[in-house]
Amino acid sequence: MSEETRKILEMLHQGKIGVEEAEKLLAAVSPANVPTEAAATGTGAKKYLRIQVEPDQVSGGDRVNVRVPMKLIRAGLKLAAFLPHDAQSQVSHALKEKGMDVDLSKLTPEDLEELVANLDDLTVNVEGKQKVRIYSE
Amino acid sequence: MIPMIMRVDIRNKDQKGVWLFFPVILLWIIAFAFLIALLPLVLVAALVTLPRGPGVRLLLLYPVLLAAVFALSGLRVDVASHRNNKVFISFD
Repeated sequence: MSEETRKILEMLHQGKIGVEEAEKLLAAVSPANVPTEAAATGTGAKKYLRIQVEPDQVSGGDRVNVRVPMKLIRAGLKLAAFLPHDAQSQVSHALKEKGMDVDLSKLTPEDLEELVANLDDLTVNVEGKQKVRIYSE
Repeated sequence: MIPMIMRVDIRNKDQKGVWLFFPVILLWIIAFAFLIALLPLVLVAALVTLPRGPGVRLLLLYPVLLAAVFALSGLRVDVASHRNNKVFISFD
């Protein structure tokens, strides 16, 4: 622990500064050692997107376990931008027929970052059939 | 890290199918050699179709393809149906 960090913690302990002020001072003193909220929850910390489907114990079903590297998803989005407009519209139309109203041409890497940053652990129990779990790690 | 090994295991309910343990690095070497061989043509096409022609898009595709190949490492797909059909694909 550095001298500056110790002094800041002493001032916090003595009530001379509040928690928020202490946090700012600590960040100013050693920014590399203070994990920011973005770094902890952003896609930088998440390497894989996991999709797991577990069958129901009684009725059975398909078991799926997919692990996709986040870098591959980002590269895939960039590759999708190279698709001709006709192909993009065909893909969007096919997705819409399946119930997914997504325009691939408007999907940006920033949208992906925001989606994964807010995707903590999504579990969907399909009653009597399967449990679907989507999360990032 | 570029994926070195590709494992494929596709089996039907009778446990018959394809099992493959392939050093995919060999495939990348051939693919990269092909891309490098095509590069002069792509550069000429890019120069001829400046600024936003198909040649430029083809040239810009190179780094994106490379990024996609390098990002394949860690991909794993494991599907087992209730009819005992199985599909397993991984890049390590």
